[in-house]
Amino acid sequence: MHSVTGVDPHLDIESYDPSADLMVLNLGPQHPSTHGVFRVKLYLDGEIIIKAVPYAGYLHRGVEKLCEELTFVQVIPIVDKNDYVSPMMNEQAIAMACEAMLGIEVPPRALYLRTIFAELQRLASHLLWLGTFGMDLGGALGGGASLFMYCFRERETVLGLFEEVTGCRFHYNTHAVGGNRHDITPRFTQDTKATLEVIEKRIDEYVEIFSSNGIYRDRTWGIGVLDGELASSLGITGPLARASGVDHDLRRDAPYHIYGELEVNVFTESAGDCFARTLVRLNEMRESIRIVREIIDSVPEGPILGMKPGKSPGHIKIDAGQGYSCLESPRGELGTYVIGGGNSRGASAYRLKIRSPSLHAASCIPYLFPGHTVSDAVAILGTLDPIMGEVDR
Amino acid sequence: MTRDEAQERFVALLQERFGVSEIPEGNYPLVDVAHHFELARALRDEFGYRIYSFVVASHYPAQLDAKNDNAVIDTEHYEVATGLRCIGAPAHLASWRVRVELDQSVPTLFPLFAGADWQEREQYDLVGVRFADHPDLRRLMMPEDWEGHPLRKDYAIETACPPWR
Amino acid sequence: MAVDETQRTYDHPLYQHVERMPGLSVALGNIDQLLTWGSANSLWIFPMATSCCGIEFMAAAASAVDLDRMGSIPRGTPRQCDVMVVAGTITVKMAPRVKKLWEQMPEPKWCVAMGSCAISGDFYRDIYSVIPGIDTFIPVDVYVPGCPPNPEALMHGLLRLQEKIRMLREGKLTREELRPESPPNLNRPAIGRLHDPERDPLTSEEQTDSAAGLGFGDNLNLARIRRPRPTAEPRPQPGAEPQPAADSDEESAP
Repeated sequence: MHSVTGVDPHLDIESYDPSADLMVLNLGPQHPSTHGVFRVKLYLDGEIIIKAVPYAGYLHRGVEKLCEELTFVQVIPIVDKNDYVSPMMNEQAIAMACEAMLGIEVPPRALYLRTIFAELQRLASHLLWLGTFGMDLGGALGGGASLFMYCFRERETVLGLFEEVTGCRFHYNTHAVGGNRHDITPRFTQDTKATLEVIEKRIDEYVEIFSSNGIYRDRTWGIGVLDGELASSLGITGPLARASGVDHDLRRDAPYHIYGELEVNVFTESAGDCFARTLVRLNEMRESIRIVREIIDSVPEGPILGMKPGKSPGHIKIDAGQGYSCLESPRGELGTYVIGGGNSRGASAYRLKIRSPSLHAASCIPYLFPGHTVSDAVAILGTLDPIMGEVDR
Repeated sequence: MTRDEAQERFVALLQERFGVSEIPEGNYPLVDVAHHFELARALRDEFGYRIYSFVVASHYPAQLDAKNDNAVIDTEHYEVATGLRCIGAPAHLASWRVRVELDQSVPTLFPLFAGADWQEREQYDLVGVRFADHPDLRRLMMPEDWEGHPLRKDYAIETACPPWR
Repeated sequence: MAVDETQRTYDHPLYQHVERMPGLSVALGNIDQLLTWGSANSLWIFPMATSCCGIEFMAAAASAVDLDRMGSIPRGTPRQCDVMVVAGTITVKMAPRVKKLWEQMPEPKWCVAMGSCAISGDFYRDIYSVIPGIDTFIPVDVYVPGCPPNPEALMHGLLRLQEKIRMLREGKLTREELRPESPPNLNRPAIGRLHDPERDPLTSEEQTDSAAGLGFGDNLNLARIRRPRPTAEPRPQPGAEPQPAADSDEESAP
């Protein structure tokens, strides 16, 4: 039993009140609100959940095993598919780990591009979350679908920006060890500014929709309260932890890319419920827009892919040693743990572990669900925003 | 406090209290498995490393010396790396490794960090290393009746699973 | 401002099958035409969205592409749906569920494999936990390639499915021709990995050929895109062991 919340995730159901009217309900693995394939076995007393047992692994694609077989260059398009809502974050995490272990300098222009891409990805990811969360609360054909339509309208424009640069809507394969592959164009700069202007206005509209809607407030206010202490103990980072009062953001506390030169405002809420998580994400969208605006005009000229002399992108070899580097993805700390010295004298990793924030986020379900009704469970699952490709890998 | 100072403090803690003599270059320090739990507890309670960051288990098959009548250079073993992080700046990551033989198990960190529940289950499922006193050591990713641990080095990537593949 | 609509004419497509007489309209034709018209234009979709392609499916259902306008509404339960769109990787753990959901759908039903993972397993093809293509256990009518396919590509796939439904009703193709059993050589991954020295350079061509002919037999003349094969020297086989595909007899897919 956890000392703070008083919820026992391993409750023995046999020891529960024998006179209770117990029922077992399976949420998933195919359920529209699970955003993928995820199963939670709910033990209900009436309509109140008394125990929730999540089952992951319905999308386990063996990415870590595959990464041991492929070289570091081949790995980058593979990891795109882990967190498929913000794929560039995965590429950056792998590239950063290799760069840190090999001591490769990344040219300043590439660092600027990475920062811009990362913030735009955060924006697109949160837009998708907002749309699907509205749909979770409102039903596929009910009023919630309108928010889904609005958010996808904006997301399409952001994806259009990436298409302009890389030629893909997602799964870009644009980051390499030592820099970037695709350079931005003047048109990208121009379009980005115009798009951000539109989205910023629209975010205000969404805040209006949320804050003025009584149903929305009733369904999120005080629902799924995650304690800050429990959040850190579970390894939860990112907007989920910040909504619970954990003032922690890798962009500010352990700066990478060019975040060290920027002022990153970190938004925290103390309530820890679904409403707080929504507020934090909406504020982060605004902050992403602000960061992109601040740096998009000051991108320095120069090369975007730099390597040490004698090394080309095709010859990245990590002979030995272990290293871990991480970045702040839209869901929290996304890290890569690399053990060097795999096949072909270090061209591939001996073991590559992807530290995914979604797996940690999903692991709080046994603590959050008990005491709520089934409809609250859907709202909680929506605000956790787990991406199944990243949970199962 | 800067990150370098935090790293120095961590190294000093390892050397003074947990019997670590050398810190390898480009790698994380190797701690005796008997100190694993105590080190995590000291970091959490005394130094404020409250975020459970990761646990990575890896499998090393036995190394034999082919030239020297297959003499055993290194036995088959596991290595488990754990990382803890402190909240806020400088967000220092304290990471260490423990080495366990095939029949040994690593003490679970679940009493200290609730996140160890799922992370250790995942590593048990994929690599096969056992965690002692874990409350619920079941498979997480693979089906319950799956045979073998996929991330072990002796597990072929294209292992068939009839009738599905 | 009033709009002059006197010049505006609109005929419902159904009137193409209706004979008009003064005072009444009589539909001449068989009920099959009506049913075909109905079933091709109300393809309710069961999104079996597991991974990345699911996001593109959502984009297709959203405002920019809008599947609703061709009568395709995503529904959450298989019992109300006509088309199962398998969008994403199907793993060994998920496959029994997909099979079960497919069996729960009422006939007539169709299946669209969206994205390369659903079609062939993509680069996860060799991995222990991934099904190398959903056509190893459920029949597939339309393959929409891409990783992931654009929403427009999914739209195109559904239009092709409508075409197929019409062809079926009009008797141009039989059901067996439309949905054949998958070729036996695709049932199991027998292709060596890229850095495998044992890998036969011709296997990729064989795979392309069989994929090109997939599902249509001799109905489409695909011979023109088949390249002439170079006659390869037989590789020296240690112990004359055949390809690992040889043991597929005992492990054939259901």
